[in-house]
Amino acid sequence: MSNVSVGRRRFIPRWRVKSSSLSRRFRVPGTKRSLLRFEGRYNPKTLQRELILRDKKPLFWLVGLFALAVIPIAVGQQLVFSIFGSICFFAAINVLWTLIIGTAGLQSFASLATVGVGAYAATYLSITYGIPWPVMLMAGTAFGALMGFIISIPARRLDGLYYALLTIGISEFCRNYVTQSESLGGQFNGALFGADRIVPEEAMQTTTGQTIAYLTSFVVLLISLAIFRVVSGGRIGILLRTAQSSKEDESFASAIGIDFQRARLLVFLVASAALGFVGAFYATNQGGASLSLFSLDQMLLLLAMIVIGGLGKAEGAVVGTVIVVFLNQWFTSWGPWRIVLVGVLMLASVLYTRNGLFGLRQQLIEIRERRKALSRAIRTTRYGAFLPEQGPEIADKGVIAEREFERAIRDQLREWITPEIIEEHRLSPLGQHSDHLERILNYFRKQPISNKYVVYCEESFKAYRVVALSGIPGVPPRSVDDKTYSNLDEAYHAVFLRRINDLKSQH
Amino acid sequence: MAQVSVTGYTDKPSVIEGEEISFYVTADNATEAQVDIVRLIHGDEDPKGPGFQEELIHSDFSGVKPVKKQFVDLGNAVRVPDPTGKLALTDSLTIATYVYATTPEKGRQVLLGKFSLAETAGYALGIDQAGRLAFWIANGSDTDEIVSQVPLAHHTWYFVAASFDAKSGKAILHQEAIVNPYNGRLGLVAPFDHTCSVEQNLRLKVKSATTDFMWAAASNSATIRGSFKDLLFNGKIDRSYVWNRALSISEIKSQCCADPILDGLVAGWDTTIGYGENGIDDTVVDISSNKLDGIGIQRPIRAMTGYNWSGRHDDWRVAPHEYGGIAFHDDSVVDCEWEKTFSWTVPAGLKSAAYAARIRIGDVEDHIPFFIRAAKPKARILYLFPTSSYLAYANEMIVHHVPVAQAIGSHPAVLTKTEADYFQDPKYGRSTYDHYADGEGVCYTSWLRPILNMRPKWRSSAIGTTWQFPRDLSATAWLEHQNYDFEIATDHDLMREGLDWLKNYSVIITGSHPEYWNEFGLNVLEEYISTGGRLMYMGGNGFYWVISYRDGEPEIMEVRKGEAGMRAWQAEPGEYYHATSAERGGIWRNRGRAPQKLTGVGFTTQGFDACHPYFRMPDSYHKSVSWIFDGVEGEKFGDHGLALGGAAGLETERYDLLLGTPPHTKLLGSSTNWSDNYPGVHEDIMFHHPGLLGTQNPAVRADMTYFTAGNNGAVFSTGSIAWTSALPSFGYENDVSRITKNILDAFSKPGELPGGAWIEDEKSWR
Repeated sequence: MSNVSVGRRRFIPRWRVKSSSLSRRFRVPGTKRSLLRFEGRYNPKTLQRELILRDKKPLFWLVGLFALAVIPIAVGQQLVFSIFGSICFFAAINVLWTLIIGTAGLQSFASLATVGVGAYAATYLSITYGIPWPVMLMAGTAFGALMGFIISIPARRLDGLYYALLTIGISEFCRNYVTQSESLGGQFNGALFGADRIVPEEAMQTTTGQTIAYLTSFVVLLISLAIFRVVSGGRIGILLRTAQSSKEDESFASAIGIDFQRARLLVFLVASAALGFVGAFYATNQGGASLSLFSLDQMLLLLAMIVIGGLGKAEGAVVGTVIVVFLNQWFTSWGPWRIVLVGVLMLASVLYTRNGLFGLRQQLIEIRERRKALSRAIRTTRYGAFLPEQGPEIADKGVIAEREFERAIRDQLREWITPEIIEEHRLSPLGQHSDHLERILNYFRKQPISNKYVVYCEESFKAYRVVALSGIPGVPPRSVDDKTYSNLDEAYHAVFLRRINDLKSQH
Repeated sequence: MAQVSVTGYTDKPSVIEGEEISFYVTADNATEAQVDIVRLIHGDEDPKGPGFQEELIHSDFSGVKPVKKQFVDLGNAVRVPDPTGKLALTDSLTIATYVYATTPEKGRQVLLGKFSLAETAGYALGIDQAGRLAFWIANGSDTDEIVSQVPLAHHTWYFVAASFDAKSGKAILHQEAIVNPYNGRLGLVAPFDHTCSVEQNLRLKVKSATTDFMWAAASNSATIRGSFKDLLFNGKIDRSYVWNRALSISEIKSQCCADPILDGLVAGWDTTIGYGENGIDDTVVDISSNKLDGIGIQRPIRAMTGYNWSGRHDDWRVAPHEYGGIAFHDDSVVDCEWEKTFSWTVPAGLKSAAYAARIRIGDVEDHIPFFIRAAKPKARILYLFPTSSYLAYANEMIVHHVPVAQAIGSHPAVLTKTEADYFQDPKYGRSTYDHYADGEGVCYTSWLRPILNMRPKWRSSAIGTTWQFPRDLSATAWLEHQNYDFEIATDHDLMREGLDWLKNYSVIITGSHPEYWNEFGLNVLEEYISTGGRLMYMGGNGFYWVISYRDGEPEIMEVRKGEAGMRAWQAEPGEYYHATSAERGGIWRNRGRAPQKLTGVGFTTQGFDACHPYFRMPDSYHKSVSWIFDGVEGEKFGDHGLALGGAAGLETERYDLLLGTPPHTKLLGSSTNWSDNYPGVHEDIMFHHPGLLGTQNPAVRADMTYFTAGNNGAVFSTGSIAWTSALPSFGYENDVSRITKNILDAFSKPGELPGGAWIEDEKSWR
């Protein structure tokens, strides 16, 4: 280790603070949040006051959403408009679905079906009663909520795989219903068109029309993201996450006063209503509804999107959608191979990542930590020694100096452990001993509290055991074995033998 | 089945016949308990002695009584009674204070405010979960906050303030540190920039909480338990102010280290008002016209250095204006404030002795001890239970948080279930050997809470033998076994009744470890001896620490461990002077009152690996004192006992002319050649050097002394805690018992003491 030098410079954007002036903190109107979360701190290496950006996510969202809004308009081609329109549409659905699977914890596969119900209902009402598009949106929302309510009924009893199967069944039922229903376009294989549009059909031929139509899809994505934020980041989301943080989920939640069932069903209803809204929007965008909304393959494609992106996160839902839709619609010339590619990606993310694309960062950090620990373990040749790169990590440098002292003293003490010393202790655990034994005992007695052995008295003058202290209030002493000793001297000696063993292993 | 437990306390340590004593009991998972009154005879279960012995007192009182779980509202605060709602501010307001946080990182803490978590209402200045200064308002359903940019540094004084303008919603938070070379953990060279002012709009309006304005706590409430304090603060708070308008940032900044602006001032507490000759009480004085004085809860510590402590004075009596600090701890308790469970009127005719309410729920049992003293002293012998010293050790758990405890004890600690459990949740407070959760030494201890180690059968985990009360029962059991006519009393009785009462007795026998004494007690004892009283000091390390009680509050004791002595902690610089008596705390020796001046011996060593016999010293053969050894064979005595097999050991004392042992004192016996686990005491050490441990240090020993005082007074000292535990050996028939009996027989007879005629040097031409 001669002549090593460690030291690290790392670029973290940081701002100096002018502490004499009043710093004004702005909040996003109507919320308690500030736009960016700056954290003031004392740099632990210099004690300099600095501001660092704790959460860069809002910046990434801003850049990502801006790109999503601007690229198709800048390109101005119909294919690009169509791909990005699909991205916004599917991303909106996926974000809301994430709310159902992630936040509410319900394995529902009927999300696309709910969108379909919203779309068909809005289209049907528009064709039959001639309602305009704003009313269609409202009707879609209402039907989405109704559909959500119906699917939620079995969720009170069913869970997991059974519920997933049931919801797939419901989707299949909807598809069959449409194909068999004349009023819903059964005779045209479920294609029901002629509803009111936001952008009139003739305007869709112009770039302006396409731009406006695209921007409306984008707004729908923004709305679903806002709903996700409010529900998942709000009180109800916190409650549900708290409830799910324990293995016993429901019983734990009810013990701390959370009505778990009610909360998850409420989330489910809100998400379903929003999905119905997205469906109605689809109808006002396309001028109607088609059977693909109920198809199983489309549902599975959506599943691929959220699995690739990372389950439970809005950013995962959006980026996963971008990848899959782009593959699926840009590389149409590849034919069925692009679907195979999506499958491979999905398989890869299931096999090799813990939680899709957006779980990768944490996964990489953990891999790095593991490798770091391993490499340190290999290079550390002696028990308790510190490597140069560990210095900066230890706040109390006194620990390092003491560790060095202890290491040297242990080397000495180990040499003094002999059968004679152990026998000397056995014969008389208390009182004055030989110099070597006294020094060994003093070393043991001064050790820190955590994991320190003590005698536990089960019955005075009859039964003693050896336990180890935690040193932490609330954490009881730990039993080290089930041996009992009939008198204190035997128990003292048992403690001594354990300490000798530990000392021997610490080199 | 849920675990059943039961414990409790009494309203006072001792009673006389006809008086009523109240019991406060808590029980987990039980609704009734069998309650009996027992007389405690012997408390040490060691099989070498008589074992645990109690005597049931038959009376109508015995029976099954209802019990319930009672909660302890832990933690200090200052409560501000405000009948006219002056502090029920719902409009604009400003709070300013000085704060010295010791655990800013522990989680949310309130500094000042009228805030109820149960109602989600009110306002408070506090510290958030990240250790930053914060100001919270709540409107009945939601809370909003403004937080500072950087965390507060621990052990550093800050001026902090928050203002809120209800019309515009604008809130301002300001902090600046007040660092001088003395007043905090760090000096000026650590380049911290502590100043921070933040402005931000809040979205809510304040709804007033129905609970009190408090310092260092918010209100909360829960079913079963009722209301309690929450978000408790650790650290010190100095002068504090509340205005009913929003001060501007420049006004706020001008308030640092200045007198308050009077315009809009609702309350201005000057924590430096109230110091007097006897210290300072729990009232925090409001200097505003509203007179909203606050009251300390669970005895916050006063007489502490304030933000402006200059380091020039170490005494609040010289510079009270520098002592505005009030220390708060989230785990402090001096009164459990439970509902009375039952009470008992002491019938006539009971023997004066240690008693207990024995409470049994199935196999689970607790004894709640108390003492019955004689209404009118009749006996000539008084055994004095050192209740002040019991309080000092009340609920001690040094083994759990002091790494060197096993080195002090010189063996692995021996835990009992009760103690192992108690450390998990120390809800009845700590002893003066422990630290509060923030690391500060505990300086207040109290009788008004369960004291788990002041129980018969208790064995100290650090020592491995009994300690204090259960050991002292060996002395009264011996007195009873020897058929002496004796009465008992406590330190508390001595403090209340004084010299005239004490003079009813011709001999006072002390406990095994009467370590903690207030000045009044010492004065009474000293005058008692000098005017003809006799003292049998049957202990070690006695008359050592300075303590004080506030007048009229004998249940709560104060200790400030000073710069010397074998001490579990040391008061912070400038905080050595008691708040309850205006005395300098520490060891009496450093106040000019070494124990040798009273008893002939004083603390010299402690160790817990073995106890040893004494050997007779030449003086003991002199006719003036040889009567003490009548019936004792050989030179060696006391090589037995329930405390590690000897009568000399644990904590012991030595004869020392330089420390005030009266020059005519006889050295009767001494015990030496102990192990290195007996180190010399700290207060004897000037330069530390090798050779100060037992095998090389001649001061490591126990001396037994005897001297006569004026008017037939006399003092016999054993100089060892273990002496008392040797009395019951071999069915109370042994050399220690014999010596004690010889002394007691002589001391309890009025008139001249034996041996008084032999007053000359010996002829040596023989």
